[in-house]
Amino acid sequence: MLRFIIRRLLITIPTIIVVISLTWTLIKLAPGNFYSGEKRLPPAIEKNIREKYGLDKPWYQQYGKTMGNILFHFDFGTSLRFEGQSVNTIIRRSLPVSAAVGILAYLLALLVGITVGSIAALKQNSRWDYASMALAMLGISVPNFVLGPILVLIFSLSLYWLPPSRWAGFPSRNLILPVLTLSAIYMAYIARLTRAGMLEVLRSDYIRTARAKGLSEKDVVIKHALRGGLMPVVSYTGPALAFLLTGTVVVERIFALPGLGNYFIQASLNRDEPLIIGIVAFISITLLLMNMLVDIAYAYLDPRVRYQ
Amino acid sequence: MVRFNLKQFVALVLLAAMAYSTLSCAVASSSEAFFGTTTPPARNVLRYVTGDEPESLDPAISNGQPEARIYMALFEGLVEYNPKTLAPDRELATSWVPNDDSSEFVFYLRHDARWSNGDPIDANDFVYTFRRAFAKETASRNAYMGYNIKYAQPFNEGKVFARDKSTGAFLLAKDFDETLPAEPLSGTAADPNKNEYEQGAKDLGQPPANTPFHQAMHTPTRLTLPGDEKSRTKLLNSNAKLKAALANKELVPVKAEDLGIEAVDKYTLRISLTSPSPFFVSALAHQVFRLVPQKTVEQWGEQWTQPEHIVSCGPFKVKTWQPYDKLVVVRDPMYWDAATVKLDEISFYPMADNPTIMNLYKVGDVDAVLNHTVPNAWLDVVRNKQDYMDGVEASIDYLIINTTKAPMNDVNVRRAFNMSVDKVAWATWRKVVKPLTAFTPTGIFAGYPQPTGDAFNPEDARKLLGEAGYPVTKNGDGSYSCPKFPAIEYIYNTQESNKAMAEWMQAQWKQNLGITVTLRNMDWKTFMASRNKLDFNGFARGAWGADYMDPYSFLSLFIEGADSGTGWTDPKYSEMIDRANRTLDPNERYKLLADAEAFMLKAQPVVPLDTASVNWVKKPYVKGMYPNAGSLFAWKYVYIERDQAKWDYKTPSLAE
Repeated sequence: MLRFIIRRLLITIPTIIVVISLTWTLIKLAPGNFYSGEKRLPPAIEKNIREKYGLDKPWYQQYGKTMGNILFHFDFGTSLRFEGQSVNTIIRRSLPVSAAVGILAYLLALLVGITVGSIAALKQNSRWDYASMALAMLGISVPNFVLGPILVLIFSLSLYWLPPSRWAGFPSRNLILPVLTLSAIYMAYIARLTRAGMLEVLRSDYIRTARAKGLSEKDVVIKHALRGGLMPVVSYTGPALAFLLTGTVVVERIFALPGLGNYFIQASLNRDEPLIIGIVAFISITLLLMNMLVDIAYAYLDPRVRYQ
Repeated sequence: MVRFNLKQFVALVLLAAMAYSTLSCAVASSSEAFFGTTTPPARNVLRYVTGDEPESLDPAISNGQPEARIYMALFEGLVEYNPKTLAPDRELATSWVPNDDSSEFVFYLRHDARWSNGDPIDANDFVYTFRRAFAKETASRNAYMGYNIKYAQPFNEGKVFARDKSTGAFLLAKDFDETLPAEPLSGTAADPNKNEYEQGAKDLGQPPANTPFHQAMHTPTRLTLPGDEKSRTKLLNSNAKLKAALANKELVPVKAEDLGIEAVDKYTLRISLTSPSPFFVSALAHQVFRLVPQKTVEQWGEQWTQPEHIVSCGPFKVKTWQPYDKLVVVRDPMYWDAATVKLDEISFYPMADNPTIMNLYKVGDVDAVLNHTVPNAWLDVVRNKQDYMDGVEASIDYLIINTTKAPMNDVNVRRAFNMSVDKVAWATWRKVVKPLTAFTPTGIFAGYPQPTGDAFNPEDARKLLGEAGYPVTKNGDGSYSCPKFPAIEYIYNTQESNKAMAEWMQAQWKQNLGITVTLRNMDWKTFMASRNKLDFNGFARGAWGADYMDPYSFLSLFIEGADSGTGWTDPKYSEMIDRANRTLDPNERYKLLADAEAFMLKAQPVVPLDTASVNWVKKPYVKGMYPNAGSLFAWKYVYIERDQAKWDYKTPSLAE
């Protein structure tokens, strides 16, 4: 088992190097630079800026320096746009914001999704089933950049119940709308997956056995059916959690949250090379780790995976 | 997995869109006097959206407007923008005098100014700040703002002087370039028998001491050469005279000490300029000239602006800074004028998405927002509210014409194109801007006799085109055609509003001249490159905002050596501008500048379109904040008014 984990960890290193190199190349190919604005700067001033940040050096030197610092010191350097702020600090500061919203959305999605999915499965073809599945369909189809503003329009601008945006610490009322917006699609997926999983399990022999034994309906559902029915949900939520944790560009933008996703989109627009690379690398590492955890879980559950 | 049904999807999107628009209408149709709530904040604080996240709290670094407003809370300069007119108000300088041709200024500083850590502020702080701002290593994006200070530009560009090894005499610029304008007073030997401050300061009494530094400044401008070997060799190879003169000369770098700024004594500052610049004091409120603390900067380097290190000198000081969340500044008890400061705190919220900002404003989570915030689609509702800030801005939209390529090298053709664009209709279509026929913005510079360019007149435009050899004929259906006119283009950087603008212009010319101009969009970088290299035949989108409150900030684009992107310049124009700037009487100077502007407009290197509008909102209880032309606010005058009778029930007047 240990060897399996070590092997997986070693594979992540070249993967990260490839990801960073590709990102670096894309940034270099993109037009524009971090200091260009509406007014044209005199060429001498542009030259001063390029010299200050080492952008006048040949590309292999720049690439070597970036890579060296990341691999040997785990230092992504200093943001170009935000003078004096290190990329590591920016990630450390913005990650908790993204994670708070992400984890809340994840928990909400699990709670509502599983409950609604189970009810729908147990009352198959009833009004409950149709209503909840129609709602789930809506949740999947309506993108969050539509859902977010609609929620803001209703609950903030018309009813004045909830703040329309901004971060106000954890916990706060400001979290309600972004968490709802973010969790909607996951909620809907989980509900559908739960329903499908439950329906399959409910028809299986061991449930019939449990019922035949004379167990109460509550015990049948919670102890037996739910466990089996949730298997597809578990495999879906692993990578989903990685995405939720590392920030969601659209929701953080709509609600002006100082999370990783917001920084990511701004860094790309600003052509802030060290920050883009830092965030891309961080998200990749998180994703790879999450996948590895899923793999380890599989290996633990299913011996066949281990010996491949 | 989920089944995806296209029909269902389309139906849902339509449903969502309908719901959205219905709700929008519900919001839109409300007939309240203000846009959203009007409950003042519980504490004595202002919550303000200033635009995107500040790049740095170092006033030398950023050239952005969001940052400029923050610097105004934290740092002071010699002067401060007047809250209404943006004219320079006394701040750390209590008075100043120009010499007789405005090529040198003496500033007298207040004695009671302090840093936020209690250290006193004196003239040496300014000398340090200026030297640092123009140092190559600082890489300030704003350095060009002070290029008219003696040797600031060559210092910033890392250039070198040439000095004779034996005599120590420097080579002079005038010996190698006959086209240079005559030396200003600051470039001629200071005559001990003549007071060069005679006209500027009748009540000055004795002018400040004629120090050795001052005498050095009062010598003809030295020649400067590129600092790097490669460009220097290139220059020398193209100029034999220069190459010969350089024999037996040593090259010495332009140093910080060569800059034309001097602490004459602890509270007197003298700044020598390269040319007559009456507008110089207006420019001094700019962020690049605001004081930075020498000790703190030297101790912490780039980290000096972090909240735990920063030392400031403005009415407010940093309390907390959470990037992309908020910057909170509190009243600084050390500030020399702390008694005037009314707010306890200002929270600056960094946000860039206009609908999100407006939402926050509507529910009352912020009290005022930055300029250009009301989205075009919301204007019909918001502009009728009493908290809408209506006012002109010191910036203009126009079209650049490449005057170097046929057929646009013919002034009659350029005039015809200008006269066939209906600027009034354009302004109506854009809702809040004001039509413009000149190159300076309308209604900004009080007392400036702004000239008017050609009015909309398609009849005359067609005649002019005919005279230029491109007859316009009327078709049977009332439309026009101009078959002989060659193909020209209109370039713009990719953006929805720019596209709409380009199409609007295209339609005007098609309708009035029968000419179809090809539209070509490109990404920002390519656009700037084409525009700067005059690599387009026809028109390019243009916009310009004032760097300081003076018509010269616009008119200087067309003087020789500057870069208007049009390829047009005229020695006569440069001479007219120079003459105006040498004139001390402000009214007379404005008249001369206006003459120069009229001269330029006749040559029509541009198609002026509109003076922009500030377009923002503030709650009625926010007082002391005015819709001035630059959306820059002296925060110490801003306060929260709790008495409803004293609220602003319309855009506050800018009249003094």
